[in-house]
Amino acid sequence: MGKDDAITELRSAVLEYDSDAAVRAAKAAIKQKIDPMIMVDKALVPAINEVGDKFEKMEIFLPDLMLAADAVKASMALILPLMAKDYQTSKATVVVATVQGDVHEIGKNIIASMLMARGFNVIDMGVDVKTTLLIDEAKKSRAKIICASALMSSTMGSQKDIIDYATALGDRKRYAILVGGGPTSREWADEIKADGWGKDANGAIKLADKFSGRR
Amino acid sequence: MVHILDVMEKALEGKPISENDYQLKLFAAKANEKVREHGIKFDRNEVIPSDNSLADDIYRAAVELLVEVGAYCTDTSRILSYSEEEIRGALRNAPQEIWLGEGKERKRLAPRKIEDKSPPWCFLGAGGGACSSDRSFTTLVEGYAEIPEINAITTPALTRVGGMRIRPASPLELLGAMRNAVYAREACNRVGRPGLPLMNSLSTAESDIALAAALHPRYGMRASDGFLICCMDPMKVDFNRLNKVTVVLSMGAPIGMCFGPLMGGYSGGPESTAVSNVAHHLMGVLTYQSSWLLPFPLHLRYVSSSSREMLWIISVTGQAISRNTDLISLNLNYTSAGPTTPMCLFETSASVTAAVVSGLSIESVGVASNKEEDRTTPVEPRISAEVAHAVAGMKRSDANGMVNELLSKYESKLANPPLGKTLFECWDPERRRPSPEYQKVIRKFKKDMAKIGVDLRPEL
Ligand code: B12
Repeated sequence: MGKDDAITELRSAVLEYDSDAAVRAAKAAIKQKIDPMIMVDKALVPAINEVGDKFEKMEIFLPDLMLAADAVKASMALILPLMAKDYQTSKATVVVATVQGDVHEIGKNIIASMLMARGFNVIDMGVDVKTTLLIDEAKKSRAKIICASALMSSTMGSQKDIIDYATALGDRKRYAILVGGGPTSREWADEIKADGWGKDANGAIKLADKFSGRR
Repeated sequence: MVHILDVMEKALEGKPISENDYQLKLFAAKANEKVREHGIKFDRNEVIPSDNSLADDIYRAAVELLVEVGAYCTDTSRILSYSEEEIRGALRNAPQEIWLGEGKERKRLAPRKIEDKSPPWCFLGAGGGACSSDRSFTTLVEGYAEIPEINAITTPALTRVGGMRIRPASPLELLGAMRNAVYAREACNRVGRPGLPLMNSLSTAESDIALAAALHPRYGMRASDGFLICCMDPMKVDFNRLNKVTVVLSMGAPIGMCFGPLMGGYSGGPESTAVSNVAHHLMGVLTYQSSWLLPFPLHLRYVSSSSREMLWIISVTGQAISRNTDLISLNLNYTSAGPTTPMCLFETSASVTAAVVSGLSIESVGVASNKEEDRTTPVEPRISAEVAHAVAGMKRSDANGMVNELLSKYESKLANPPLGKTLFECWDPERRRPSPEYQKVIRKFKKDMAKIGVDLRPEL
């Protein structure tokens, strides 16, 4: 297999939502001493962008998006350690969760997949996540960004809890805390002193890009 | 027969699997596989198909899907498996009629047939729509209770108690659920219809404990009300929901499982979402011990049910269920646009028509995606009910033509819908009427409907 073939295979693995194939292709590429930057720039990024575009146009659906993001994540786990230190730290860790008391997961999953696809190190804590656990995880993983999703008027208050708790611990400045989900709004984000509010996944990515360098 | 203890046994003994693997690798993959195996195809131009074999293929695919993937319990991380024999037994034993309400309002809810002339059951209101105040809650419910076609009320939800935003499973939610019961009953009393059933009893009660708390006889809920319990998409259940099931069974009231597969979400495209929607009916009778079902499939982007794909999903689901079972099923529809916009009224007319001619009854309507506080009025469900009665008995092929005309009026605006006005901006609670501005929109809407062959009550 030539170098181009290895890159093509890595690309197709993501386009076929196949984690196992992505890992195999990444291993083959590493064996051939392909520059890890090339694997990322020529295979993973274009593939996941293509998947993201198709999802935007609803040509493919949520399960495909999530599986493609998994494939990128699985191969990145092999590729990342080989990359220059400055690249490794260039994209921040983001902790993503649906807040305590809320089990709506679809918006949160879209955001987690899109951020993962954009190369962020995403820790998806799932739904109904306790405020204290969320902040503990953010601390442990040295996250720069927290994305909290709330879909019900009754659980928006948990977004405020997250911010108040981080403030009480004296850790507020460590994280950019972003909020979103159906009933939330920019005004709500201002009221609870969140760092940002996003209407959709593009909004989340823009904010994450903005805050990933700063802290 | 599968009873609640059997459900628990399955939840405790079933095959362990992670939630992610269940929904992505098992459910989503199998739903697609079933679509391919049965050659099911969505046709953009025939949103209300007249092809019986399509409905039967979807039904077959749904049975196979449930048998092959089962339901999933998120508290035990296990699959609840059902055999085809168990599914057949549950269908045989499902009630073929339910009596709801009291006194003069006591009525029979029964399954309907395709192109059935009998009017659908009209379960009206903005189910679960968020209210900013007690006043908007009671204004809405009073307005619903006065709708001539109404059979049952679906209440909105309170979001604040004592000036505080309700938190799930907290005393605020319990107090909110109690108020929800009392206010809804009082609103019906005030307009002289105390017997109307509240079929989504307690939309303010998200948790099991709040539901149980508000069922104390002091708050006036009755076994002749219906009780909705919402399934987690796709085909998931947890102890919180099974607790609700157990509580409602204990009072001898009929459970309705509601489920909202999102097209574009785990269920995939229109075809697999239709198969999932039908499979959820069968799963609901078993896992949630339901006597009636409430599908509300929605579009992932638009969070509404009026696009072409959604109308098709509603129609083929109704046809599959009514041709192959005696289950009682009511489709709940959402619009993208809001009050005072013609688009909102056209959207709900299209969705309701797709349901009614395909053998379903209706719950109507979640307005402007049902997510903003007070962005809903008693007008939209009233219009839904008028249309529902007017189209009962219409041929599917005629309905297809009519719905295509409706689509041409709003389809291009779905991505950026006009949100219209909020309750007190366009509804006068003292006169119990829409504002003059809204009345004008309704009159024009009725003229437009007459032009495409649907005659509605003259607007005052
Ligand atoms: C689908 C759905 C469900 C499904 C969820 C399936 C699943 N696996 O997630 C099911 C059927 C299980 C469900 C259950 C319930 N639901 Co529900 N549900 C919805 C519905 C129709 C759509 C939500 C959705 O997935 N939208 C699509 C996604 C893509 O959009 P999104 O989540 O908003 O996310 C986007 C943006 O908001 C943004 N975003 C999201 N998070 C974040 C975070 C950050 C940081 C940023 C920047 C951006 C961002 O980006 C996303 C991508 O574009 C909404 C109605 C609505 N209009 O929202 C009701 C709704 C949210 N549900 C509601 C209710 C009441 C419930 C239940 C309590 C019902 C019940 N009585 O059991 C339960 C919840 C139990 C619980 N404790 O959580 C109410 C809430 C009312 C209120 N009080 O505010 C709503 C508004 C409907 C209604 N009016 O009745 N529900």
